[in-house]
Amino acid sequence: MSHLAQAIRELGDSGPLRRMPRANLERIATVLVLGWAVGFMLWQGAGFTITLTTIFAIWAILAVSLNLVVGFTGLLSVGHIGFFGIGAYTMAILASDASYDRLRTESIPTPDWPFFAALPVCIAIAGLVALGVGVVFNRFRDDIFVLVSFGFAIIAFSFFLNLRELTRGAFGIHEIPRPAFGSWVLDGEIEFLIFALICLALVVLICWLIVTSSFGRVLTAIREDEEAIAVFGYRVTHFKLAVWVLSAMMAGLAGALLASWTSFIDPNSFILLESMLLIAIVILGGLATIWGSLLGAMAFVLLEEGMRFLPFLPPEFVGQARQVVLGVLLVLLMLFRPQGLVGRYKL
Amino acid sequence: MSRYSWNIFLTTAVALLMIPLAIACGGDDSDEPFRIGVMESATGPGETYGTVAIQAKQMAVEEINAAGGINGRMIELIVEDSKCSAQDAITAYNKLTDVDGVKIILGTSCSGAMLGAAPLAEKDGVVMFSGLATNPDIAEAGDYIFRTSLNDAQLGVDTGNLLWADGIRKLATISESTDYAEGVRRTTVEQFEKRGGEIVGEERYASDATDFRTSLTKLLNANPDALHVAAQSEFTGGTIVKQVRELGYDGPIYSEIVPIGTTALEIAGDAATGLKAVITDIDPANEKGQEVLGNFREKYGYVTLPWYLGSAYDDVYITAECLKETNDDQDADGLRDCLYEITWSGAIGDNYSFDERGEVVGLTNVVVEVLPLSERNEDNNGYQVLGPAPSG
Repeated sequence: MSHLAQAIRELGDSGPLRRMPRANLERIATVLVLGWAVGFMLWQGAGFTITLTTIFAIWAILAVSLNLVVGFTGLLSVGHIGFFGIGAYTMAILASDASYDRLRTESIPTPDWPFFAALPVCIAIAGLVALGVGVVFNRFRDDIFVLVSFGFAIIAFSFFLNLRELTRGAFGIHEIPRPAFGSWVLDGEIEFLIFALICLALVVLICWLIVTSSFGRVLTAIREDEEAIAVFGYRVTHFKLAVWVLSAMMAGLAGALLASWTSFIDPNSFILLESMLLIAIVILGGLATIWGSLLGAMAFVLLEEGMRFLPFLPPEFVGQARQVVLGVLLVLLMLFRPQGLVGRYKL
Repeated sequence: MSRYSWNIFLTTAVALLMIPLAIACGGDDSDEPFRIGVMESATGPGETYGTVAIQAKQMAVEEINAAGGINGRMIELIVEDSKCSAQDAITAYNKLTDVDGVKIILGTSCSGAMLGAAPLAEKDGVVMFSGLATNPDIAEAGDYIFRTSLNDAQLGVDTGNLLWADGIRKLATISESTDYAEGVRRTTVEQFEKRGGEIVGEERYASDATDFRTSLTKLLNANPDALHVAAQSEFTGGTIVKQVRELGYDGPIYSEIVPIGTTALEIAGDAATGLKAVITDIDPANEKGQEVLGNFREKYGYVTLPWYLGSAYDDVYITAECLKETNDDQDADGLRDCLYEITWSGAIGDNYSFDERGEVVGLTNVVVEVLPLSERNEDNNGYQVLGPAPSG
């Protein structure tokens, strides 16, 4: 322990990921985002708040799981959206209503499984794909890793779009069921939200257990200096592969939740832009902090959806204005707060 | 005060500060206008026609309000961006219904977005009324789902018949990988093959593609009698037409409406001359339609996809007519029943109505041909109508 801790301490001051001083800004950022969320809730009432909180829960699972790879291990992956899509499509293919789909164009054979039978398969398939991809990706580091993960996102999207016999391509898949415990179907929005928040809590707990364990400390050491930690006898590739697979499984869970919540998915939900937004959320909240990812997801959802209420713009320009304002805010944040709202490190 | 207490205090203060802001933004509702939701693709791949649809609806509402409103009450549109995506359509739908409390939604412009939000509307008893979504699946979406846009299935049948009637026997297709373009391609190919035609090449592309030369070269190597283009965005539609001519292809090109939109024709330039498309179009003899196009051009300085513009415009007037009867913007059932009963004459045609699936009845497709560059102008939108689409 002492050798490892010593190595991390020494590398932390001079490594490529520089330790940033903790500032009062963190507290202010936390208070602002939470206050903003509470205020928004009071302003807009329960109905829309439930929708936004469900979106937050799904994005937060994605952000927390991606932070394991990007923030804690130092692997800048832009391919996370691929695992999100694999989870969603697995749920859609296994669980969508077969009788409904036969009425539709280019129908696909669906086994009509219940949600909870399909869910473990969604997580497992995302994990298996990550294992296969990770064995190859483990050869790469730094900039090259970014590029190959970019390639993975593109391949995954092409798969969703073009493997029409399985995914119905651009037509998407309808009638994906909500979770059901026997005859109790979670078809109410509040019920689904509670379920999504329970999933988020489980993911946060697993991530917390990981990062506070000796396994997590090795991940941090890999981020700081992969070669140095290898000198101490750690099988670096095994650790990287393990966290990559775990992270992908969590993304698969988020995808399954999205498919069930929207009841319809098509490839547009898994484009590369979504991956970039996800990276932005992780950096916005802060690298290597679980709380930061939660805060980042909350701030992002509030920013994006809050701007639906801009009162002074002509309606035909509100959509474009939201994208511009969001982009400008993110650029400003990166200029003045590159480590994110509550982050300890910056890239 | 401890740091913990201080944090709680600050959080509460920020939350409370939001309330006056909320009140300020909430507006004055003392005149109680009819509130109607609008969901269109203000951004994303359907941005061009989404924007046109929003502007056409705004124009119709301004006209109605200027004429005294409905039963003395004004109409207020609440516009949300559904981004041509099911997920965003659901968020926009929930915002409109939960926050704004609307029971009538005009939109959306993309079939994928429509299919994402339609199950919620059906469950909640909210009327969704689209002027642009054309996917055949929407016909089965439910009792509260209506559209003035024609089903792609008919468009495909008409295009397949036209190809056969024009003597095309070997066809190559290139289509954008979206539900709309794929639907057009699929139904066109089905009808063309049913008539005895042969498909010698099929290519698909993602919405963000900008260079189609490789796909087009592959298709042209199969030596087709004609090329069929099905695009979701005007940019890709126009670019494909331009690039296929640059590759030396001088055979006939067929398409649906998007590659002959104003933006697409600007991109394609003279390369689009002679392109034939099966579209829904505003009849030049339809005075109301021509008046709407003229007013739109005067107000916004351009016209594109005129039929969809007119369709979005008519949707507002049809809704307003039904609101005269129900006099309640929360009475979705009343509006639904009115839509099933109504027969309308407006910008896109005369005496059209809705069948038991909410599908428009009484409108037909026409065949148009793009004019040479020197003959294109604002009045003809760059093309001439050749006649009704061949029926068999």
